[in-house]
Amino acid sequence: MTGTPAIKAINLVKIYQSGGVPVPAVRGIDMRVESGEFVAIMGPSGSGKSTLVHMLGGLDVRTSGEIWLDGTRADTLSESGWALLRRRKVGFVFQFFNLVANMTVADNVELPALLGGATPRQARERREYLLGELGLTERASAAPAQLSGGEQQRVALARALANQPRLLLADEPTGNLDSRNTKDVLRLLSDVHRKGQTIVLVTHDARVASMADRVVSLLDGEIVDDGALPRARRRPAGTVGDVVELRG
Amino acid sequence: MRAELRWIRADLRARRGQALLTILTVAGIVTALVTAATLLEDGTNPWRGLFTRGNGAHIWIHTKDTPDVVALRGLDGVTDLAGPYRSAPATLASRGRKVPIALQETPAAFQAVARPLLREGRWLDVRDPDAVVVERSFARELGLAPGSPFPVTGLNGATHALVVAGLAESGDQGFYPDWAPGLVWTLAGTLDVVEPAAGRTESVVGLRLADPDDTDLVVQRAVTVLDNQVQRVSTWREVRASMELDNRLLGLLLALFGIAGLVAAALALANATGGRVLGQVRDIATLKSLGFTRRQVTWTLVAEHGVLGLVGIVAGLVVGRLITAYALPDTVVVPLSPGPFAAIALGTGLVVLGSVWVPAWGGGRTPPIPASPAAPPRGHLSRLARVALLVRLPPALVLGARDAFTRRTPALLTVSGVAIPMMMISIGLGCWSTLDDFIRHPERVGQAAALTVRPGDLTADEALRRAAADPDVAAVYPGAEPDALVPWQTRTVRTRALGRSADPYPFPVVEGRMYRDRGEAVAGQGLLDLLGVHIGDRVRMTIGGTPLIVRIVGRVVEPEHDGEVLSFGLDSLAAKDAVPQFYSLVLREGADPAEVRTRLHGMSLDVSQVVNPADRLSIIRMIIIALVVVLALIGLANLLTASALGLRDHAPDLAVLKAMGLTPRQVMATLVAGTGLLAVCGVVAGTAAGASLSAVLIDLEGRESGVGAGIGRAPTPGMLAASVLVAVGASLLITLIPARRAARARVPHSAR
Ligand SMILES: Nc1ncnc2c1ncn2[C@@H]1O[C@H](COP(=O)(O)OP(=O)(O)O)[C@@H](O)[C@H]1O
Ligand SMILES: [Mg+2]
Repeated sequence: MTGTPAIKAINLVKIYQSGGVPVPAVRGIDMRVESGEFVAIMGPSGSGKSTLVHMLGGLDVRTSGEIWLDGTRADTLSESGWALLRRRKVGFVFQFFNLVANMTVADNVELPALLGGATPRQARERREYLLGELGLTERASAAPAQLSGGEQQRVALARALANQPRLLLADEPTGNLDSRNTKDVLRLLSDVHRKGQTIVLVTHDARVASMADRVVSLLDGEIVDDGALPRARRRPAGTVGDVVELRG
Repeated sequence: MRAELRWIRADLRARRGQALLTILTVAGIVTALVTAATLLEDGTNPWRGLFTRGNGAHIWIHTKDTPDVVALRGLDGVTDLAGPYRSAPATLASRGRKVPIALQETPAAFQAVARPLLREGRWLDVRDPDAVVVERSFARELGLAPGSPFPVTGLNGATHALVVAGLAESGDQGFYPDWAPGLVWTLAGTLDVVEPAAGRTESVVGLRLADPDDTDLVVQRAVTVLDNQVQRVSTWREVRASMELDNRLLGLLLALFGIAGLVAAALALANATGGRVLGQVRDIATLKSLGFTRRQVTWTLVAEHGVLGLVGIVAGLVVGRLITAYALPDTVVVPLSPGPFAAIALGTGLVVLGSVWVPAWGGGRTPPIPASPAAPPRGHLSRLARVALLVRLPPALVLGARDAFTRRTPALLTVSGVAIPMMMISIGLGCWSTLDDFIRHPERVGQAAALTVRPGDLTADEALRRAAADPDVAAVYPGAEPDALVPWQTRTVRTRALGRSADPYPFPVVEGRMYRDRGEAVAGQGLLDLLGVHIGDRVRMTIGGTPLIVRIVGRVVEPEHDGEVLSFGLDSLAAKDAVPQFYSLVLREGADPAEVRTRLHGMSLDVSQVVNPADRLSIIRMIIIALVVVLALIGLANLLTASALGLRDHAPDLAVLKAMGLTPRQVMATLVAGTGLLAVCGVVAGTAAGASLSAVLIDLEGRESGVGAGIGRAPTPGMLAASVLVAVGASLLITLIPARRAARARVPHSAR
C-alpha cells in the first residue's frame, strides 16, 4: 500500500426500494483506488456500475458501508457537504445530458470555476485553455444542441476537469458515440491520465477498458474479478500493483 | 453568486417569451387590482377627488360681515384663502314648489382655491349677468340642465328670470339633499340684483390649510380672531362624511375580487415556476452533480422567478397609476391613496415570493443524477389497448385516459391549474349575478321602495293622498328615522319606523320573521353584533326622551349604516314620535321610477329616488370582465405549459404508440385525450367549487360587513353552462396545438 488512496470503499451496499420491494443494486463492495490510477469498471447492464460510481461521487446515498475520499470519510456527509466536496474534488461525466441546455459551451465550462469561487477572468482563462486543448475554441459560443455527440462529451470532460479535481468519475462517457468520436474522447482521457489524473470509468466496451490500469468486473452488485491489465503503461506516478483488496 | 447569475442569465435568455408572459400576467393582475381599488375609492369617497381637483378649502366660515382677511391669512397653518364671497338666501320656483337656495358670489375668473368644477354647460360670464351655475346634485334633483329657466325670488319678494348656464361640482359642500339649501353660483352683480339689502347677505370665506389635521385648532383660532362675528363653520370632515357612500357592498365585493386576483397571481407564478422546474430537472441535476447545493438551487430559482414576478408587480403598479391617471380622467380624479397602494404592492409581493418558493423548493430537491430521467411507468400499454379494442372504445381515448392519471404530480398540476382560475371565474360570475339581483330585485336588499316622498309644504295627509293616487304606485308606507339611544352605547343608532305592524314594509327578512305587532322589530346583522343580541332578545332604548322596548323577531338584509339599523312599525313609536316624516313608495312591477318621479314632481311633491347600490357598483362589472379575461388567459397558459411538459415526457411513448400501429391522427387524439381529460376535470371541478363557494363567500363577507348573510347569489345555470362550454372548448383547442405538432413530428427514438 502506497500513500493515501484516492478512493477507499468498505463494504458498500445500496438497496433501492422499488414499490416496497428492496432491490439490492450494490452488495458489499470493497475497493481501493490509488491516486493517479485509472480504473475501468465493467459488467453487464443492471450489475450496479452506475450505482457504484454515483455513490462514490455522493450523487446517491449509500445504504451501508464507508466511503473515504483522499483519506477523509465522505459517506457521512450531508447532501450539501457532498456538493461542496464535488465542487473541489470530483468531476463527473455521464453518458447523456451532461451540459446545461440553455448555456453556451463557454458558460458550461466556466460554471464549475465560478462555483468554486474563481473570478470571471480566471474562469474565462481556464475555459479558454481547456477548450483550446480540446480543439473546441471556435465552438465556445455554440449551444450544446448544436454540437455533435463527440463534441458534447469532450466539452463535458472539459467541464469535469475545469476545477482540476482529484477524481474524475465517468459513467459510460462513450456509450453513445461512434468509434471516431470514441477515439477522440479516449485520447483525451489518456492524456489527462498521463498527467496524473485519477479516473474511475464505467464502460461496456472492452477496447475502452483496455486503456485502464486495472479492470474491475461487477456482476449482480458484487465484484467478481479485479485485476491489473498485463500491459505496462507509461505513467509518471503510481505503480500498478496489488492495490485492490478483495474482502469476503 | 457568479455561477447562479450565469445560470439565471442563460435561462432567461433562452426563454424570453415565457419570461415576458409571466411578467405580463402579473402586471395585468396588479393593474386590475390598482384600477379596481382606485375606482372603488373614488366611488365610495367622491370628496377626495373633488377636493383635490378643485383645490378646495378645508374650512368654511360664515360671518355676518366681511371678516378680517388679513388676520385669517396670518393664522398659523393657513396657506390660502377663498373669498370672502357674499352669499344670500333666496327661493327658486320649481314646478309650483318653492325650493330654498343659497346664492353665492363667485368671480368669473379662474379661482386658485375652492373653484367649482364645471361639468356641463359653461361658466359665468360678465357679459351675461342673468346666468347662474348650479351645483350638480341639486340640479339633478330638480331636473335642471344648462339652458333651463331659473326663476329666483329674493327675500324682498321680487322674482328674477335667471338662466342656468352650467352645472358644477364642488368638494366644499355635500350633495343635495343631504346638504341643503342648494348651492348656486352667481356673479357679484347678479347677487346685488336679487338681494340689494346688504344686511341680508352673509359673508363666506374658505381657509386652505397646510395640514388638514390642524383643522380643529385653526377653527378655534379663527373663531377667536373673528370674535363674535362667526355665524357657522363647516369643515372638510363634515363634507367628506356626507359624501361618503354609506354602503359596504362595494367594498366587500371588491375585497373578494382582490383575493381572487392575488390567488390568480399566485397560481400563474406557481405554475410558470413549477412548469419551468419540471422542464428543467435535467439541468438542475447537472448543476447539482457539479456541486450546486440544494439551497443554492432553491434560491437561484426563487431569485429568477421572483424577480420576474416583482418586475411584473412594479410594471402593474406603474401601469395601474397611468391608466387611472390618463385613461379614466372622467371617473378618477386622484390616484389611489398610499395605504391601499402599499397594501397591493406588499400583498402581491408576498404572494409572488410564496408561490415561487414552493416549486423552487421542490426543484432544490431534484436528485443530482442527470442521466436518469424520471422513467414513466410502462408496460400496461398493450394490455389496456387490448381491453379497449375488446369493448370497442376508441383506443386513443383509453390510452389518453390511462396516460392522464399515471403521472400523479403533473396531473394534479394540470387539474388545479385549470380548476383554480375556473373557480375564480365562477366566483366572479357569482358577483355578477349578485349585482344583477340587486338591480332586478331591489326589495331583496331592503330597497322595495323606489321613491321617497317628503311632504314639504304640504300636509302629510295631502302628500299621502297625491302620492297614492298615482297609477304606478302600488303601496305607500309612512316612515320616520329617529335616532335612538341604546344603553351602554356612546352613540346613537339609527332606527327606521316604516310601515305599520298590521301592514309592515316588505323588509327582506332572511332569518326569523317579520314584525307583526307593536313592540316587535327586525334588525340588520350590524346591529345584532353591535348590541350583542340575538333574534328573540329584547332591546331597550330611548327615542326622543321616551323609553321604548322592542323584541327583535327577525334579521333583515341591511345595506345601510353598516347594518346597524333597527326597523319596526311606525305604531311602535310613542304617539308624539309616530308622525310620518316621509312616505316610501313601492311601485308597480315594471314601472319606471324616473317617470313616476317626474309625475309626482308635477304635483308639487318633494320626491327623491332611492339609489340602488348596484348603480354605483356598475364599475365592478368592468372589473369582473377584465379579471375573467385575465383568469381565462392564466388557465390557458397553465394548460399550455402542462401539455408541453406532457409531450416532453411522452417522446418515448410516441414511438411505442406508432409501433402499435396508431395513425398520426390517433396519436394526436391520444395526446389531446390525455391532457383534455385533465382539463375537463379541472373545468368541472373549478366551476362546481366556484358556484357553490361564491354565494357562501359573498354572504360571509356580507356578515363581516354588517349587511348580513343573504345577499349572495350563485351564478345562473345558463352562465355556468356557457362558461363550462367555452372553457372546455378553449382547453381542447389549446391542447390540440402541441399535440398536432408532436403527432406530425418524426418520432425521436429515445436513447437509453
Ligand atoms: N432509482 C432506482 N430505483 C430502483 N432501482 C434502481 C434504481 N436505479 C437502479 N436500480 C436498479 O439497480 C440495479 C443496478 O442498476 P445500475 O447501477 O443502473 O446498473 P448498471 O449501471 O450496471 O446498468 C438495476 O437492477 C436497476 O434496476
Ligand atoms: Mg448504468
